[in-house]
Amino acid sequence: MARRGSDTHAFRVTTAAAPTDALAVAAAIREARASKTALRIVGGRTWLDAGRPVREESTLPLAALRGVTQYEPGDFTLTARAGTSLGEISRIVAREGQWLTLQPHGSLDGTIGATIATASWGPLASAYGTPRDHLLGCEVVTGVGEIVRAGGRVVKNVAGFDLPRLMTGAWGTLGAITEVTLRLRARPEVDRTLAVTLEGLDDRACDDAGRWLRTTPYRPLAAELCSADMSAHIGLERRTLLLVRLGGNEALVRAAERAVAELGTVTIVDGAVWDRLRTAEPSGAAVIRLATLPAALGALFERATRRIAGIGGASHATIARGVVRCIVPAAHTREEIERLRGIMKDLHAPGSRIAERLPDPLWDELPSAVGDRLSRDVRRTFDPDRVLNPGILDNTA
Amino acid sequence: MIHSAAGSSPSSAPARGTTRDDGLARALAAIVGERRVLERPGELRAYESDGLPGYQHRPSLAVFPGSREETVAVVKLFAERGVRFVPRGAGTGLSGGALADDVVLLGLHRLRTILSIDAENVRAVVEPGVVNAALSRAAAPYGLYYAPDPSSQTACTIGGNVAENAGGPHCLKYGVTLNHVLAVTALLPSGEIVTLGNAQGETEGYDLLGAFIGSEGCFGIALDVTVRLEPLPQAVHTLLADFSTVHAAAEAVSAIIASGIVPAALELMDAATIQAVEASIYAAGYPTDAAAVLLIELDGAAAGLEEDSARVSRFCTEAGARGVRLATDAAERARLWQGRKKAFGAMGRMAPHLVVQDAVVPRTRLPEILATIERIGRAHGVQVCNVFHAGDGNLHPNMTYDGNDPEESARVHQAMSEIMDACIAAGGTITGEHGIGVDKLPYMDRLFSPETLGAMCALRDVFDPDRRANPGKVVPMHSCREWHGAAATRTRSA
Ligand SMILES: Cc1cc2nc3c(=O)[nH]c(=O)nc-3n(C[C@H](O)[C@H](O)[C@@H](O)COP(=O)(O)OP(=O)(O)OC[C@H]3O[C@@H](n4cnc5c(N)ncnc54)[C@H](O)[C@@H]3O)c2cc1C
Ligand SMILES: Cc1cc2nc3c(=O)[nH]c(=O)nc-3n(C[C@H](O)[C@H](O)[C@H](O)COP(=O)(O)OP(=O)(O)OC[C@H]3O[C@@H](n4cnc5c(N)ncnc54)[C@H](O)[C@@H]3O)c2cc1C
Repeated sequence: MARRGSDTHAFRVTTAAAPTDALAVAAAIREARASKTALRIVGGRTWLDAGRPVREESTLPLAALRGVTQYEPGDFTLTARAGTSLGEISRIVAREGQWLTLQPHGSLDGTIGATIATASWGPLASAYGTPRDHLLGCEVVTGVGEIVRAGGRVVKNVAGFDLPRLMTGAWGTLGAITEVTLRLRARPEVDRTLAVTLEGLDDRACDDAGRWLRTTPYRPLAAELCSADMSAHIGLERRTLLLVRLGGNEALVRAAERAVAELGTVTIVDGAVWDRLRTAEPSGAAVIRLATLPAALGALFERATRRIAGIGGASHATIARGVVRCIVPAAHTREEIERLRGIMKDLHAPGSRIAERLPDPLWDELPSAVGDRLSRDVRRTFDPDRVLNPGILDNTA
Repeated sequence: MIHSAAGSSPSSAPARGTTRDDGLARALAAIVGERRVLERPGELRAYESDGLPGYQHRPSLAVFPGSREETVAVVKLFAERGVRFVPRGAGTGLSGGALADDVVLLGLHRLRTILSIDAENVRAVVEPGVVNAALSRAAAPYGLYYAPDPSSQTACTIGGNVAENAGGPHCLKYGVTLNHVLAVTALLPSGEIVTLGNAQGETEGYDLLGAFIGSEGCFGIALDVTVRLEPLPQAVHTLLADFSTVHAAAEAVSAIIASGIVPAALELMDAATIQAVEASIYAAGYPTDAAAVLLIELDGAAAGLEEDSARVSRFCTEAGARGVRLATDAAERARLWQGRKKAFGAMGRMAPHLVVQDAVVPRTRLPEILATIERIGRAHGVQVCNVFHAGDGNLHPNMTYDGNDPEESARVHQAMSEIMDACIAAGGTITGEHGIGVDKLPYMDRLFSPETLGAMCALRDVFDPDRRANPGKVVPMHSCREWHGAAATRTRSA
């Protein structure tokens, strides 16, 4: 999907020198305010085609803000500058037997700042939650050009109003994140992944699996239902499969395995399937997440999967969160875009529908993510001149 | 500074609602009934304080709506008349958050209906006045419970928990209120009703729910709350380890955390606390000659629990525990927990007043901060009792004193202040679960820059541009003054 900046808009895009500290970021933002220049915040550049088109005139690159600034393994917390890649953080904490349980979809070259800014998550969210559940504190340069440091380095903190939560998932429209402190966890002693061939119809099997998950004492680290096409794509048999990731001590995992076996035929698979799942989408694919109440997920999964199968789409569901993620191959031609428009009409859900990536023309049909009064005023307060990623959360750039 | 979008400056905000405002009382009585509006000093006495001693503020009047409709009508009336107000749940707060200083107190404890328990989707919807423990009791027949368990859970309300982002002993494994609330219907001070979060799916856009949780009644009122429930654990192991030094107990905490085992709870009580508990009706059988005990709970699936429990025992022994005892049945477990949960009450019997303090340090700094606290207490001749959520590094250094003795009060105050400074210096924070309220206001400048405090005020102004809800709490007023709003930029809801 070729788009962004200079090709699609008549603005001159200039690239400023990459700031290396928060003060320089603040200076850049203040300058942009003064000259009313729209900035596109840029991290590792792996996911710039996600979200609504941005009316950018210049970029604010944050990749030079790199490195882990504080890591005390015994505290299970880590502070890193925003441009530090997920891969680098993983490597550093792995040496201590720890991990950052975010592991969002996408590449390890993605930066931690972008992950928090976009509230990105992956299969481990089943057990550990999303970025809002991991972020302990952050340093942000607001659209006003001020440096705000909120939260802290400790795992429990209610001092003052919760600015870190506000910045999580704001897609940079309230501020550029320059540093974050995160909660880490110990790698489980045993980490085992099972592929379960469910018996019966997909929707019923999904609901049975969901019911089991909600009541089981075994609390899997992840449980994803993969459509047949998705299973094949990540190197497994082409059929609907439930991937269950179990963690804990050997006795616990063994008992959990026996319990999972009640759901269907179980095969132990290589943990690398999770990496394959996280990078499953072809470049430029349209990605849409649908959600509903957990107990109603089966029908939604079945309907969405069937709808996109014909055009080479694949899906997977994060059962614990009631979310079906639909991946549809890139639409380039007018005809392909129109076909996708038709599919979008059917991809509705009672809980929510969130598009991650879409061809530009299709965004117009989606409501603003920040159209309510409170959100509009939050934006006005933190970025009064709309210089940060304008348009990414609403179309009224 | 951050430019507040607020149209009116705080000084121009109307500040009516004093005792003399007969018209207001009459108008409120027309909504909730005469009996539910209190005006006389004698009647208001019960609402002059919350769980924090040393402060007494009289509300101008108090109103207690009995339904959602009445609450909305009351808040709309406040909005029309520019009345400032303080929401209040059970008044168990420990930072003075529910104190109303000559403004109207809005009591929400009568809104105590559990609106639904959806066992299939493991969630419940409750009114704000539902008592924390009542929800878990109601969920138990479905094999479910509500995980956040403040030690005050038999009294405090879910509305108050949301406002404080309350924690509790079991939050080590299960997370705090923020991690369990899916959606809130909020009644803004303007009378506007908004849904924050999404009970049925994901939220896109700003995490306004996250911002609301922990906003201490300053952003509006939680009218109803949708929470996630948890399945009751299949098995529970409760251990009591006793130590001859506090340092050794703190070392055991570090070893357990570092091992990667996540106990459901990991609580430390020092000698002063143990003795207070054992001398009270809540006596739990803690060894009275111990310098510290750890109360450790492991829960979850039965399989593998014994292995974890054995490892935890070993960590305690290696750190120097004199003994580790495993509760053999539910009754013994309950007794061990009762001592912990009622520890504040037990301490309260030792002196006219008790300050339950709250601060957090990185977990590896526990041994050192406990030594510092002891030194500070000794230097000021103040008895400090420590009973706290050690696994999170969340300290509760509590002090018993006589609040009517100005000299002793001053010493307690000085010791508190030094403890807060020590926690900040150790990379920690001034509150882990009790909130800022009025009590921690003086420390906010030590922790946050003027820009950060300004940003907090600006966020509050989005929810409450007139600054009428819980005025004067959380962020020091001087941090908010400097903003000059651009009235023209603010949109008004239709
Ligand atoms: C193929 C692919 C698929 C993905 N799928 C998903 C998915 O399904 N779900 C999901 O949640 N995530 C997904 N992600 C996102 C990804 O996991 C993270 O968001 C992150 O790793 C991207 O990092 P980046 O540094 O390359 O971001 P960039 O591509 O540089 O930026 C991504 C966005 O974040 C903004 N941004 C970047 N840095 C900051 C900052 N410091 N402060 C404020 N704003 C900033 C940018 O303006 C941009 O809008 C996907 C990524 C890829 C590459
Ligand atoms: C013995 C004891 C033990 C405690 N243990 C713990 C503990 O382990 N963990 C912990 O976190 N806390 C603990 N606390 C503190 C206290 O119980 C919690 O802060 C609790 O959440 C307060 O609830 P409440 O209903 O009493 O609220 P209140 O004290 O009445 O009010 C607290 C704050 O919430 C606001 N508020 C109340 N209801 C609403 C509403 N519906 N909407 C908006 N705002 C509202 C008030 O304005 C005020 O700012 C303890 C207190 C005591 C006395």
